[in-house]
Amino acid sequence: MDKKRADTQVCDYKSGTLMPCAPLALAYVPMQQSAKPAYDSEDALKRGTLFPGLDLPFMNMVNTADLSDTPLCEVMTLKFVCHELHLYLDTHPKDKEAFETLKAMLKLAREAERRYVEKYGPLMCSDLEYSEEFNWLCDPWPWLYQK
Amino acid sequence: MFVYEKRLQYPVKIKNTNPALAKFIISQYGGPDGELGASLRYLSQRYSMPYPELRGLLTDIGTEELGHLEMVASIVQQLTRNMTVEEIKKAGFETYFVDHTAGVYPQFASGTPWTAATIAVKGDVITDLTEDMGAEQKARTTYDNILRLSDDPDVNNVIRFLREREVVHFQRFGEALRLATEKMDQKNVYVINPAFDKK
Repeated sequence: MDKKRADTQVCDYKSGTLMPCAPLALAYVPMQQSAKPAYDSEDALKRGTLFPGLDLPFMNMVNTADLSDTPLCEVMTLKFVCHELHLYLDTHPKDKEAFETLKAMLKLAREAERRYVEKYGPLMCSDLEYSEEFNWLCDPWPWLYQK
Repeated sequence: MFVYEKRLQYPVKIKNTNPALAKFIISQYGGPDGELGASLRYLSQRYSMPYPELRGLLTDIGTEELGHLEMVASIVQQLTRNMTVEEIKKAGFETYFVDHTAGVYPQFASGTPWTAATIAVKGDVITDLTEDMGAEQKARTTYDNILRLSDDPDVNNVIRFLREREVVHFQRFGEALRLATEKMDQKNVYVINPAFDKK
């Protein structure tokens, strides 16, 4: 199949590769070529994607909300980047560079989670290991409005 | 096994009560192209996915959709927080309120309860992945329509995030379809259903 895919072709980050010939009567989406370029983690969360090539906002309106005012911000941004890289790797499992980036980001995310958990309480049941008392029940639950 | 994370994927912080918006945003909770259907569609389809390398994507996107379900519920909960009877009447929210008070119930904007009739699990690789691409586009359109109707920036930031996720998922399902069909008979990709027929 590889000979049918024009892997040598170089497109800009807004485009992807398609094979020159393909069976009829099927839908084709071009493969994203690379996990680069990528937004920094806070921009990625704001925009809803790590990848500028996939960032296609309705009426070109983009989020302006400042997300940095929540204690969870660091955990949310880092874990979002990890999730985006993970979905990319689901369809690009051989991209070693992206996998190395994912591993580095997972480490940062884990450290940020640990900092949050020690200060504010558990994010997951297993975080109770770090609690002095059973504080799983304490607010804030995620859906409640917090200033 | 599923494990709960006590946080949202993206923060929901809506300052103003506004049941008029909750009235149609509830559709992305339990409507025809909402997040409940999305999660159940992908998490159910994975059992008949014959290619191990594509089971992961259905699991991972299906799981993310459960997180989106929680975000949409949070929007509805915050839009209806501390609402008064006057606000309910003014917003035309009586029809929802009389059945569910300020509870979050999976239903269409039009009031029909969530139904599995809005999702598909066909048990055929090409059919299911093509369905998933269509499903992501339908959800995107619904979010576009919500953005046309809503004037609350606190709501719209979250809706724009959720909408962009549909675009990313469409890309991934499209790539998954490419990976799947590359494994099939290139002279006739429809010669068998690899989820059922043995080669």
